[in-house]
Amino acid sequence: MTKTPPSKNKRKTPLPRSAGEVTRDRQSERPTVNPPFDVQAFARAAAGPAEPIEPGSSDAVDPGERSERITITNEVELEIARAKSAQNSEPPQPRTSALLIADALVSSSPPPRSITPTNIESAVLGALASSPAPEITERTIEDPASEMRERFSLGDYSGALEMAELILAGDPSNLEAAECGENCRSTLLQMYAAKIGSLDRIPTVLVPRTQMRWLSIDHRAGFILSLIDGTSTIEMVLDVAGMPRLDSLRILHELAQRRIVAFR
Amino acid sequence: MEKVIGIDLGTTNSCVALIENGVPTVIPNRGGYKTTPSMVAITEAGKRLVGHIAKRQAITNAENTVYAAKRLIGRKWTSPQVKNAVATSSYRIVQGPHMDVRIVLRDKEYSVSEVSAMVLQEMKVIAEDYLGQPVSKTVITVPAYFNDNQRQATKDAGEIAGLDVIRIINEPTAAALSYGFGKNVEKTIAVYDFGGGTFDISILEIGSSGVFKVVATAGDTFLGGEDVDARVIDWLVQGFKTEHAIDLRQDRMALQRLKDAAEKAKCELSSVRDTEINLPFIISSGRNEALHLQRTIDRQTLEDLSSDLIERTIDICQQTLLDAHLDKQDIEEVLLVGGMTRMPKIQRMVADFFERDPCKGVHPDECVALGAGIQGAALTDDKHEMVLLDVTPHALGIMTQGGYFEELIPQNTTVPTHRTKIFTTSRDHQTAVKIVVMQGESQRAEENELLGEFILTGLRRAPKGSVEIEVTFEINADGIVSVHAKDLETGKEQSIEVTASSGLTRDEIRDMMEDAKDYMVERRSTEEFEAAKQEAERIVGEIERLLPQVEQIVATSDFGRDAIEKARSIVTKARAAIGRRDLAAVKSEIEGLSRTHRMFKGVVAKTH
Repeated sequence: MTKTPPSKNKRKTPLPRSAGEVTRDRQSERPTVNPPFDVQAFARAAAGPAEPIEPGSSDAVDPGERSERITITNEVELEIARAKSAQNSEPPQPRTSALLIADALVSSSPPPRSITPTNIESAVLGALASSPAPEITERTIEDPASEMRERFSLGDYSGALEMAELILAGDPSNLEAAECGENCRSTLLQMYAAKIGSLDRIPTVLVPRTQMRWLSIDHRAGFILSLIDGTSTIEMVLDVAGMPRLDSLRILHELAQRRIVAFR
Repeated sequence: MEKVIGIDLGTTNSCVALIENGVPTVIPNRGGYKTTPSMVAITEAGKRLVGHIAKRQAITNAENTVYAAKRLIGRKWTSPQVKNAVATSSYRIVQGPHMDVRIVLRDKEYSVSEVSAMVLQEMKVIAEDYLGQPVSKTVITVPAYFNDNQRQATKDAGEIAGLDVIRIINEPTAAALSYGFGKNVEKTIAVYDFGGGTFDISILEIGSSGVFKVVATAGDTFLGGEDVDARVIDWLVQGFKTEHAIDLRQDRMALQRLKDAAEKAKCELSSVRDTEINLPFIISSGRNEALHLQRTIDRQTLEDLSSDLIERTIDICQQTLLDAHLDKQDIEEVLLVGGMTRMPKIQRMVADFFERDPCKGVHPDECVALGAGIQGAALTDDKHEMVLLDVTPHALGIMTQGGYFEELIPQNTTVPTHRTKIFTTSRDHQTAVKIVVMQGESQRAEENELLGEFILTGLRRAPKGSVEIEVTFEINADGIVSVHAKDLETGKEQSIEVTASSGLTRDEIRDMMEDAKDYMVERRSTEEFEAAKQEAERIVGEIERLLPQVEQIVATSDFGRDAIEKARSIVTKARAAIGRRDLAAVKSEIEGLSRTHRMFKGVVAKTH
C-alpha cells in the first residue's frame, strides 16, 4: 500500500486518503479521524497494532516538505473516487456486485412500483458496512486559483477541473482557469478513452433489463444505459448522450468497471 | 442501364426504392431499417448526424436538430405555416435574404433545401451502398398540394445532394402506382395517408392503359403520428407527476427516453392489447435518489388519448368528398399509407367511413417510394407504356381590375393542359396591360400566390372595353407554366414562362452543391480510414497474440530475433499511422502487417 503524504496546512477540501492516516489525540488513545474516511480501510488498519510515528523515521514527513519518494496515483480511479464522494447520500460501494447480493435477497414477487435502488442497497449494504456513511462537510476554499494549480501539479486533473469551473462560474473571463480547464478535460478524455479503448467498439449491457432497477446508478447513467442497443458504437453513444463527452466517458468507464456493460 | 431510384422524402421518415429485376424493391439502410428519419443534427463537436442517430438525440440536442423541414421547404417567410413553425419549433428559424426561410444550427444558417439535401444525400448513399455503384437519377415525391415553389425547392434539394431529379410526382399518385403495378386496374380510389407529421387524403381515378388522375386532395400539415406520441407522453408525465411530484418534461434526458418509449408503445399496441413502458432511472429526485417509471398502457387508453385526432382525419375525408362532388359509393378502393394506418382504430374508422375494408395490398411505409421507383423506371425504360397524368394542385389565373382573381385553369386540372380567355381594357385610351399571373383558390388576388408578371404594350388607343386581349395559359407535362397574351387586333403578343422560385439563386445552389460534395468526400474518406484502421488493428491483434509463441520458438537464432524486432517495428509504425489518421500510410502498413502475420502463422504451424 502506498502512503500519501499528510496534507498541507493550507488544504481545505477533502481528498481521498489512504488507510492508516490518522492523527493521535494525545489526550485519548482513541484516534481522531479527519472526515471523509474510508470505512473499510479504517477497519483494516484498526485490525492491526497501530505504530506510533517516530520523528526522524522514514515514515515521518515534515508538513512543510514534500516526500522524496515517488507516489504513483491512478488518475482514473482517483476520479471515480471523487465522483462517488460527491454523492452525499450514497454509502461507499463495496467491490462485490450489489446486484448479486440483491438477487439473492429479493423476493420473487414483482417489486412495488416506486421502490428506489438506494433503499434496497442500504438494506443490503448494511450487512457489509460496519458503520454509518460518513458525512461530508463543505469547506470554504480561500484561494481557488492556487488550489487549482496545486491539484494540477499533483496530477489531480478532475480536482483541478472542479476548481477551474468554480473560478469560471464567478469570472467567465479568467483565462488561466479556462486554459487549465481545457487541459484537464483533454487529459481526462485521453485517460478515459485509453481505458475504454477504441470508440468503434460496441457496448453491450450485461445486466438483464428486468434486474436493472436494482443497480445503484443515477439517472444519467440510466440514460447512457438506455442508449446502448447492441449495435451502436461507443462513438455513437457519445454523439447522442446529450452531455459533455467527458461525463459520458466517465459514466461508461464506471459502468464497465462495475461489469454492468462490456465492450466488444 | 443507369438505375433510377425513387425517394419518398417524408416529413418524419424517408424511404428509397428502385426496380430490380422487374420487382419494385425498397433499399434498407445500414441499420437494416427500410425507412430513415428525416432528421438532421449538428453536435457540439460539429459533427453532422442524419437519420436514426439524429433522432436519438433530438430532445437532448433540440436546438440543433432539424425535424419536419418539409413543412418549411419552398415557403415564403411570411406564410402562416412558417409563422407556426417559428413559434413551435425547438430549432431557430430566421428570414433569408430573398424572403425565404433559413434554419440556424450551431450559429450557421442553412436554407431549407440545403437541410433537405442532407436527408436526400443520405438516401443516395443508402442506394449507392446497396448497388455498389454511383446513383444520380431520381424521382422524388411531394404532397399533392405542394405549389410550384415548393416543388422547385424540392428539386433544388435534390440537385444540392448531387441528384438529377428527373421528375417530381405526387405522393398519392405514387401510392396508387404501387397499388396498380402489374395489374390492369380501372378504379376510383381514395388514398388515406396518415404519416408521422402530416395527414393527406386524395381521390384518384385510375383509367385504362395505366392513366392515373388525381381528382381531389386535402389534408392537415400539422397532424401526424407525432401528435399521438405527444398524447402518450402527456399521459406518462401526468401519472409520474401525480406519484412523485416531479415533471419529467423539465429534464431533456427523461423527455428523450419518454418520446422513444411512447412511440415504441404506440407501435406495439397495433398488434398487442397492452404493453409495458419500463424506464429505470428516469430521473433523480431532490434527495439524489434515482426514480423509475414503470407503467402499462393498453390499446383502449391509446385510442381514448388520440380519438379526437383520428376524428379530425375523418372530417377532412368528408369535406374532400364533398369538394370533389363524389359519394362514398363512388370510391372503389381505399389505400392506407403511413405508419399510423397500422392502428386498428384508424383502420376501423376508415372502413366505417368509406363503408368498405381498406386494401391491405400495399405496404403503408414503403408504397410511396415504391411508386416513385416505378415511375423512375417508366421514364427511363422504353418498354414501359404507362402514362401518368398528373394535375395542377392549385388554380391558375390572372389579376383583374379591382384586385380580383380570374381563374383560367381550375384546381386539379389534368396536365398537360391549356386554356384561353379573352380580356379587355379597363380604361379609355389604355395602351398597355399588365398580366399578373397568380396561383391559388381565393377570389381576391392578394390572397393568392404571385408566380410572375409581364406587360403587353402597343395597344390601340380606344375606349375601354373595345380592345380584345387573348390570354392563354399552358402547362406542359413537366409542370412548367407558360402564359401568353395577344392583342387580337394588332397581332402583337408577349409571353412569360413561369419559373418557380425556391428562394435560392443559382450561385447559392452551386455553393451548396460544392459544400455537399466536400462533405461526401470527407465522409467517404473517414469511412475508408475506419475500415483500414479496423483491418490494421485486427491484424495487429493477431500478431500480438502469436508473438509470445514465436518469440519462444525463434529465441535462439539471430535471424529470429531480427524478425521479431522487425515485426515489432511494423506494429509500431502501423499504430503511429493510425494515430496520425494517415490513410495511405495505414493501407501501406497493412501489407507489411499481413506478411508478418503470415510468417508468424507459418512459424507456429511448423512447430505443431
